[in-house]
Amino acid sequence: MFTRGTLLYIGQRLVLIAFTVLTVSFGVFAVVHSLPGNAFVSDRVHGRALQILLHEYGLDQPIPLQYWNFLKGAVHGDLGVSLYIRGLPITPLVLRELSVSALLGGAALIVTIGLGVTFGVLAAVRQNSWVDYLLTSIAVVGYSVPSFVIASLGILVFGQWLNNLTHGALYYPEPWSGTYGTLAELSLPALALGFYTSGQITRITRAAMLEVLKQDYIRTARAKGLQSRVVVIRHALRNALVPVTSILGPTVIGVITGSVVIENIFGIPGLGKEFVESIFQHDYNVTVGVFTIYAALIGVANLAVDLVYVVVDPRIRY
Amino acid sequence: MTARKPKLTLLSACTIPLLLLAACGGSSSTGGLAASQVLKFPVYQSPGTWDPGTADAEVDQEIQQNVFDNLWRFDDDLNIVPDIASAVPTQANNGISSDGLTYTVHLKTDVKFNNGDAMTSKDVLYSWNRAVALQGAYASNLSAIAGYGDVQKAAGAPPSNSSGSGTVSFQQNIENRLAANDPKFMMSGVTAPDANTVQIRLAHACGWCLAAWTLEGTTGAIVNEKTVQTDPVNWWSKPVTPGQEGGMVGTGAFYLSAFTAKQSMVFKAVSNWWGSPKPTLSEIDIAIHDPSAVAADVNAWEQGSFDLIGYGGDSGVLTYPLIQGIKGNSRFSSQLVTQPKGRTTWVSFNIGYPATGGPFLGESATAKGLRMAFDLAVDKAGLVSTVCHNVMCSAATGGLVTKGLVGYLGDGKDPLAKYDPAQAKALLQQYDPTGKLTAKLKYSYNAGGLNDPVAAYLQNEWQVNLGVHVALDSSSDASQFINNRLTGKYMMSRDGWQFDYNHPQDWFDNLWGYLATAGGANTSGFDDPTFDSVLKQADAAPIDQALPLYKQLAEILQQDVVYIPLYYSVANLVIHSYVKKAGSNAAFDHYWNEISIQSH
Repeated sequence: MFTRGTLLYIGQRLVLIAFTVLTVSFGVFAVVHSLPGNAFVSDRVHGRALQILLHEYGLDQPIPLQYWNFLKGAVHGDLGVSLYIRGLPITPLVLRELSVSALLGGAALIVTIGLGVTFGVLAAVRQNSWVDYLLTSIAVVGYSVPSFVIASLGILVFGQWLNNLTHGALYYPEPWSGTYGTLAELSLPALALGFYTSGQITRITRAAMLEVLKQDYIRTARAKGLQSRVVVIRHALRNALVPVTSILGPTVIGVITGSVVIENIFGIPGLGKEFVESIFQHDYNVTVGVFTIYAALIGVANLAVDLVYVVVDPRIRY
Repeated sequence: MTARKPKLTLLSACTIPLLLLAACGGSSSTGGLAASQVLKFPVYQSPGTWDPGTADAEVDQEIQQNVFDNLWRFDDDLNIVPDIASAVPTQANNGISSDGLTYTVHLKTDVKFNNGDAMTSKDVLYSWNRAVALQGAYASNLSAIAGYGDVQKAAGAPPSNSSGSGTVSFQQNIENRLAANDPKFMMSGVTAPDANTVQIRLAHACGWCLAAWTLEGTTGAIVNEKTVQTDPVNWWSKPVTPGQEGGMVGTGAFYLSAFTAKQSMVFKAVSNWWGSPKPTLSEIDIAIHDPSAVAADVNAWEQGSFDLIGYGGDSGVLTYPLIQGIKGNSRFSSQLVTQPKGRTTWVSFNIGYPATGGPFLGESATAKGLRMAFDLAVDKAGLVSTVCHNVMCSAATGGLVTKGLVGYLGDGKDPLAKYDPAQAKALLQQYDPTGKLTAKLKYSYNAGGLNDPVAAYLQNEWQVNLGVHVALDSSSDASQFINNRLTGKYMMSRDGWQFDYNHPQDWFDNLWGYLATAGGANTSGFDDPTFDSVLKQADAAPIDQALPLYKQLAEILQQDVVYIPLYYSVANLVIHSYVKKAGSNAAFDHYWNEISIQSH
């Protein structure tokens, strides 16, 4: 499927991603280490005890040397140890949290693409009908309202107003109950995270579908007597999805970055929540580790979307 | 040719699962033990470390006290009682020599670590020497023992960190030297004449040492050398797997069975534990939540998902509205447990850090007069009523040592607790008639909890009663705030102390004495040779002789107007009535092995 040129392109992109990750991680490393305060100081830990802790964890070294030590470990998959939970290896912690975020992100993408494409197709097929107006309006609301507002409204509606009706089925009164939560616990955060970008996908899908539905081959297909459902799904939708894939990259990135806010609102033990907590806790290694993972994720997600173009549109070559 | 309109079915995208809550499981109401002896509660901070050699936070000690033992322990009334030792040493039982410098401690013979190893006097030597070498926050609890300084000197600073593994190098080095019985890493004052006897020789008389050594979860706790050596840095966070070496091994009634960082921890009772009372609870399930989840957790507690809230160092986590809600609920109001907590909050004046400046600096009549003016201008009873609603805290009228603790002066005995706006105004007129000195004052504090409303209250009091506007310098970063306070970068600052062990030395030494000054903890910069001299005498004396001296120290601070007393903290816990013996004293939660769950 991939030509030599494509593989070369992937190689180039991977080098670029590595360079970006390196730059980002050093920048974050330098910034967080420059923040006033540290993870250890307290009413009890100061003076000699503090100096020893700073020394133990290498925090009294020059920043470039500390970064070099971090880098050496990171290359081997070791992101260092937590300063907040002293000595706890970070890599297993962030991998677990990454898997939680991936679950949430995956669910949000299903919501985004599922809602966006469905609404877009329906709006195009029923152009200028009430269905079109309704779904287009929902899409406008979707991309106009930030995800944290949707999240807060969701909590208000399902956690307060409808809680007696749903018995907490769509909103849980406790933080996420386990590592990965239940389907019910996942649903509202995924909706809040995915709804925002689903509006954009609705808009683009509708526009693309309207264009495709006017093509001669669609008219031909209908003339052959094919059922409308077959024409729309099998013949129109596939071509209409090409422009949709072009915004998949920003959509995935939106989901990744949006998860920082959503995880904190819903108390989901993922990478986004960890990211914010680690900053407040001065847990430098965790902050840098999480940010580095985010940078790598975004780079890889962009590359993956670029490769999807090749699959969706065979005319595209790298 | 017309195309048929597509017959697409618009399916509803949302399916709302309606989950009907099953009726609560019934159980007998005979009042006997419940079939399940699993205690469940949330905490609101992840552990920092459970290694007694380096632990420094109450939230960790609350857990550690159930896994590790000291030679003695505090009972629920804060009395020192035997734990691993067979008796509390006194001169009457020949546990303390006539000169007060040598302690002879006989150990119980049946004490075992929960990995099955027998605990002997060698373990005491190892644990204490290790703690001193590690030089953690509580190493000074062992500072009166002969050879303390020599071990710290030998351990020195950790070797240079060049690979991110400096922690291992430092701690591994200590482990290696202790394993090799290196005399430089062993305090000359701690010896083991036999397997069940420990002799402790002090470098100087020490009236507070026994209490400090008894403080659980810190340097006096006994750890297992074999276990620590499996991973000198991170052994404490690893669950114990029966049949395998390593993990959080102690001699306590419970062991760590599972730990998911930032999510949960599970402790299980040690079968055939050597001590008493034998644990009734079989398991402790602790959820690690964000503080923002407290309201939801109270709801979950009401529904029975949690047995209690407030354990694990979180006895101050319930907000006033939540407490009011519980009080207003006839079903749960009796399950709210209120208990004075051994923590005092006050305002410190910057007295001894000239670099920061400010009108309160030094011992001049003006500085003292202004300090007194700002103290008298604050209605402390009003603060407790307005900010704490007489629920979250109580008035600090008996000195800085909290009510109920040894060293408390008595209700109303602290002259700085007075409120006299007229005299305050007169003092201000006398010492700052032009208002120039008090023109740009700041009150520094860390945001969160009661600190914000307290700051606003103080600002208003000074404005109304003195006509002085004090700017509020709020810091959202507690570590930065503490750092600034410790280095005297403030004019007036929120300050406070939670006692470690029930002895006034814990307050006076750690806050204003020569140890505090040398250790960089003297936040006000107060420095008085008379104070240091009296403190030295008090620290060396038995408590009955020391108390008048500590009272004298308190009076020195009061005469110098070093602080403005604000309030004593109050612990508020919610504990279901079927959880017996759960509770808290001024320092710590009641031990898990005392608790049982009744049928409900």
